Amino acid sequence: MITAERKPIEELIQSVKPYRSILLAGCNECVTVCAAGGRKEVGVLASALKMHFLKAGKPFEIQEITLERQCDPEYVEQLASNLDQVDAVLSMACGCGVQEVARRFHNKPVFPALNTKFMGASERQGVWSERCQGCGDCVLGYTGGICPVARCSKQLFNGPCGGSSNGKCEVDPNVDCAWQLIWDRLKALGMTERYEENLPAKDWRPAGGAGPRRIIREDMAL
Amino acid sequence: MSEQKRFQPSNRVLVVGGGMGGIRAALDLAETGRDVVLVDKGFAIGGLMTQLDRTFPTNNCDLCTLSPHLSASGRKLHIQLMAMTKLCGLDGEAGHFKATLTTAPRYIDLMKCTGCGECFRKFPESVRFIPGLDHRAPTCMRYPQGTPFAYSIIKDERTDFAGLAGVCPAGAILPDDAEKVQEIEIGSIILAPGAEVFNPQILDSYRYSRHPNVVTSLEYERILSASGPTKGDLVRPSDGKRPRKIAWIQCVGSRGIQEGSVPYCSSACCMFALKEAIVTRERFYEDVETTLFYMDMRTSGKDYELYLQRAINDYGIRLVRARPHSVESVMEAGTPAGDLLIRYLAQGEDSLKTENFDMVVLATGFRVSPEAKDLAAKIGVDLNEHGFARAGSFDPVATSRPGIYVCGMFESPKDIPDTMVQASAAAAAAAKDLTPLRVVAQAREELPPEREVAGEVPRIGVFVCDCGLNIGGVVNVEEIAASAASLPQVVVAETIGHGCSRESLEHIQATIWSKRLNRVVVGACSPRTHEGLFQEAVRRAGLNKYLVEIANLRDQDTWVHRDLPSAAAAKAKDLMRMAVASVRLARPLADQTLPMNKDVLVVGGGIAGMTASLRLADLGYKVHLVERLKELGGVAKQMRRTLEGEDVRAFVDDLIKRTEGHDRIKVWKQAMVVDHSGMAGMFRTGLQVGPQMFYREIRHGITILATGALPHRPDEYYWGRHRAVRTQLELEAFLEDHSEDVQVWDKVVMIQCVGSRVPENPNCSRVCCQAAVKNALKILEINPKAQIVVLYRDMRTPGFEEDYYRQAREKGVIFAAYNPEARPVVEPEGGKVAVRFTDPILGRELTVSADCLALSTGMIADEESTEDLGMIFHLPRTPDGYFLEDHIKLRPIDLPIPGFFVAGTAHAPKTIRETIAQAQAAAGRAQTFLARDSINLGAAVARVYGELCAACLICVRSCPFGVPFINEEGYSEIDPSKCHGCGVCASECPAKAIQLRQYEDDHIMAKIDGLMEGIR
Amino acid sequence: MENFEPVILAFCCHYCAYTAADMAGSMRLRYPPNVKIIRVPCSGKVDAIHIMKSLEKGADGVYVAGCLEGDCHFKNGNGRATHRVEYLKKLLDEIGIGGERVEMFAMSAGMGERFAQTATDFTEKIRQLGPNPVKAAPQNQRAAG
Repeated sequence: MITAERKPIEELIQSVKPYRSILLAGCNECVTVCAAGGRKEVGVLASALKMHFLKAGKPFEIQEITLERQCDPEYVEQLASNLDQVDAVLSMACGCGVQEVARRFHNKPVFPALNTKFMGASERQGVWSERCQGCGDCVLGYTGGICPVARCSKQLFNGPCGGSSNGKCEVDPNVDCAWQLIWDRLKALGMTERYEENLPAKDWRPAGGAGPRRIIREDMAL
Repeated sequence: MSEQKRFQPSNRVLVVGGGMGGIRAALDLAETGRDVVLVDKGFAIGGLMTQLDRTFPTNNCDLCTLSPHLSASGRKLHIQLMAMTKLCGLDGEAGHFKATLTTAPRYIDLMKCTGCGECFRKFPESVRFIPGLDHRAPTCMRYPQGTPFAYSIIKDERTDFAGLAGVCPAGAILPDDAEKVQEIEIGSIILAPGAEVFNPQILDSYRYSRHPNVVTSLEYERILSASGPTKGDLVRPSDGKRPRKIAWIQCVGSRGIQEGSVPYCSSACCMFALKEAIVTRERFYEDVETTLFYMDMRTSGKDYELYLQRAINDYGIRLVRARPHSVESVMEAGTPAGDLLIRYLAQGEDSLKTENFDMVVLATGFRVSPEAKDLAAKIGVDLNEHGFARAGSFDPVATSRPGIYVCGMFESPKDIPDTMVQASAAAAAAAKDLTPLRVVAQAREELPPEREVAGEVPRIGVFVCDCGLNIGGVVNVEEIAASAASLPQVVVAETIGHGCSRESLEHIQATIWSKRLNRVVVGACSPRTHEGLFQEAVRRAGLNKYLVEIANLRDQDTWVHRDLPSAAAAKAKDLMRMAVASVRLARPLADQTLPMNKDVLVVGGGIAGMTASLRLADLGYKVHLVERLKELGGVAKQMRRTLEGEDVRAFVDDLIKRTEGHDRIKVWKQAMVVDHSGMAGMFRTGLQVGPQMFYREIRHGITILATGALPHRPDEYYWGRHRAVRTQLELEAFLEDHSEDVQVWDKVVMIQCVGSRVPENPNCSRVCCQAAVKNALKILEINPKAQIVVLYRDMRTPGFEEDYYRQAREKGVIFAAYNPEARPVVEPEGGKVAVRFTDPILGRELTVSADCLALSTGMIADEESTEDLGMIFHLPRTPDGYFLEDHIKLRPIDLPIPGFFVAGTAHAPKTIRETIAQAQAAAGRAQTFLARDSINLGAAVARVYGELCAACLICVRSCPFGVPFINEEGYSEIDPSKCHGCGVCASECPAKAIQLRQYEDDHIMAKIDGLMEGIR
Repeated sequence: MENFEPVILAFCCHYCAYTAADMAGSMRLRYPPNVKIIRVPCSGKVDAIHIMKSLEKGADGVYVAGCLEGDCHFKNGNGRATHRVEYLKKLLDEIGIGGERVEMFAMSAGMGERFAQTATDFTEKIRQLGPNPVKAAPQNQRAAG
């Protein structure tokens, strides 16, 4: 999933301060799952902002809505009826959702409420960590299912650097050394010979090196 | 199926007496599917308790706790209620009795009488109604919520019967009604005829019959009672003035040797006098001075000592240790002025004092009525020398005749919790004589179909209870109702007196029908205790039971804000607004049920645990008995004899033998409870067993905790450091085993309350006074020349224990009171110890060289064990470490979590006799659960709204019981029969896709809105 | 401001604090009438939104009262509630409402005295803090304007 976390409240206050009324839009997809922008977070943030402005004596109204997804135009369209009554939108979706809302409603200011972080997985309740950078050319088949692009701090492709110690990364000792994990996994699979094979230099064009990327399913995009 | 006879004549129980004890026993039996015939000689059931204003130690009013029981008694399908009926003869034997019942004519058809009161208004002299202080007798509806709810007629007063019959709109008056005699077959009998209150007329010196301002404590209760003659206003009878100074005189007619008195202690009077004084101070505070003249304050029940301390410290009640001989009229200009004079010699003072009072209350104790004695003679039940039914310590509810059991006051004078315990014990014992219950087709009450209310605009009915003076005495209930009437969608808002009375419940039901209400709010006491009652009431009026909401106006408002009546009224309005806002959104819900596991877990293998296990195993249930030590027996193994002289050792050995030999009891020794889950009817408990600590999981439906208490081991008075110093328990064994040493003792001193009634352990240990008396008598038996001094604070020998205390005094044991500020001092003196204390009568210090110093060390809670078990089972404890029961007065055996019961000293310090009664009672209460085939889980379960679910798994991960899962359709699903209803998933769900029924978010938000509406 | 009577909401667990509140009643203890109780089956049921909305609508203080640590009838609902309240305290500090307006308390069913003491202390604390700024601000404005 795409993970995100709420921006500092002060930043959010600054961004919506000029307006009398805003629409706070959540998303029931990834950001719900990572507890950053679902119905509940919308409710809590709406309450916090209302209280802040009430306290400041500033008239301020918030409408709350949570879309199934903010990255699909059909869902975003559901905002249309609410938008007449508000001066701006504060989106609790990931960056994709924020942009989709902004694209559809070009005359309404749209602000992000979240900092979109990474594509990741739930480590356990309440902890998410990065797993994929969307490089467009997956090597997981060679690396025992552990990604050296997303999980090695130096994005090394052929074994660890000299800073791997006790299975931890020298950049952040809380992070497992990806290559240690790869080695352990290959060993468990009885596929240590893979480790001996050199991976060729990576082509970074599919990773965005050749500009913004698109996917076109010819069969569907008729 | 229809051929099967549900009502098996010889398989039912006759309960004689419809007071608290009789009602509890009948209800317990009915709940286990047994048929009961409940007879009472009076015109309505309820007994003595209905005349009390409030009961200790909760200072609750009685009607509100009793009347649900009464109306339950009236409606239970298994109970046949016969008022004005006596048991007149008995043939046969246990299991097959034939009883002759005589019913006096009521001249009113119970089926037709609606209790409208028309006859009473027209012919008040011949129709029975509320008495109060009015000496007119006989009487019928002793309090406004009588059961049966019908009048009765005094025929002698009436010649014009036709005229009387004519006024009854229901045609219920039967001029030709006559005495009926019938013979019924029954399996066993429970005697619960209660006791009479002593009439102090005979004790001339107290001027009871000559001075109106001398009243008995029961009359004083009537004056304080909202349903009494003064409607709760405290005024004295002579001139209607508010008394400023009231004296209570304890032990009037009890603990006496003069003519008309009885030698035993009436047990409950110290507590009820304290209660009356506290209630008086609570209502009138500084305005009324309260003084108690007492001999010993006998507050030895659970937490009663704390009550005594509160009475002294928080309420400023003055206690004077003195027994005034007489009460005199104060004369003014040669005529009695209404005031009264008491002369007394207080302990520690050398001159007689006189003091004037506005009113004197005589704390009169209890007697067995001549009628009850007569009944005992007729049916062959032995009485003791005081006229009470004789029962042994080891089977405290069994009378001398097999198949006949006793509970309550007729066994010995006692308070309400002890009566409730004995009633449940008697019910369990009586069930044993019946053939096992095989016919499961339980009678069901016919209920009207539930009305469909979905889509209807809410029509809310609001009812505000005054709860006697509990609510109505602090806030104006009319004003609260009026404020609720103005809220949207409220169709009717009114006050209803005692909301829980049968009359009020019927009124609510009638209003639901007549106004087509579809939601109800009751402003009353706590939903914890009364929600079920109101839910049943609305259900009987064709509404789903979850369409009622209760605002806690009493426990959480008027009781705690008495000093701020206008703020209490404002809060009451807030609470009502919150309830109305929330009930508007209430939805009809269905309860979840599951099959009941009928196995039993008993924790603790002492007397209590073994007694409860045997009772249940004998009834056919499988019992797992868990004991943490290598042997069964508990603390009782260290005891030799009871105060009455019964052989404890032989009894315990026999109990162990029967327990270990029972094929339905599995004994787990050296076993510890290590984990626990589930709910009543489907518990799972993990044990570690034996030295190897093997893990075993036991599945069971109910749990009885009988883990006991510990003998206190003092670190004072040289105990353990000097061989002359022993605890009473050690002394008891020493007297049996080393009588030759005892023969040469010259002086023995006993110190009471060592480690009890002190700041570290504020409660009374209950057993030490009788243990001291027991050991003192034993010493004198071995060595009549021994001089024994007992240093005490209050000698607490309630009931017939008083006989032994008197015997000890007669035999020359010296009892000297000491002050907690001047405790005795002990110094070693070679093989003896020197005990220095202040003699209260001589007023000077004395020193005794004692060959033996016995310390009455009492009991302390087994903190380690109750703490662990409290954690594992999630059960609350008192601050001193005993398990806390559900209701200290009326449910002393049930723990707050359904399916848990407590027996023995894990509940509070108690004697063997009391322990056995409570263990039998726990078995009886347990049976009311075990007799059911299914368990009701309630309706508070989580529900997922799939269309909102993001399948994020947060609920799956956060549920403490692992219930939610993501189903084939890709959203979370929660099995309602597994859901425990905590609501954690609902509050964690980031998509707000889960709602906990009964506690939906919109309900909670509505309550918040309801509160704030009034404040903005 | 001397007549300020705070509005306080207490979310009380049925198994402990709500029972303790009833117990306080039985014992005739006294505590300020400012405290209004909403019963919940477990303190873990109290949603962050409920606390926020209570304050937003004008409550001056909100507390959650659950079982003693380790005593939760549902294993660890009280622990969850504690963390939730901590989280909200930070948020409330950030928006200038003040995290001290919300609190988590633990007590067992038998602790009538603790219930009354907690209610008294919390009310006193909120009284010292003054009215919820949300409520007070527009009034001040009205007075000024």
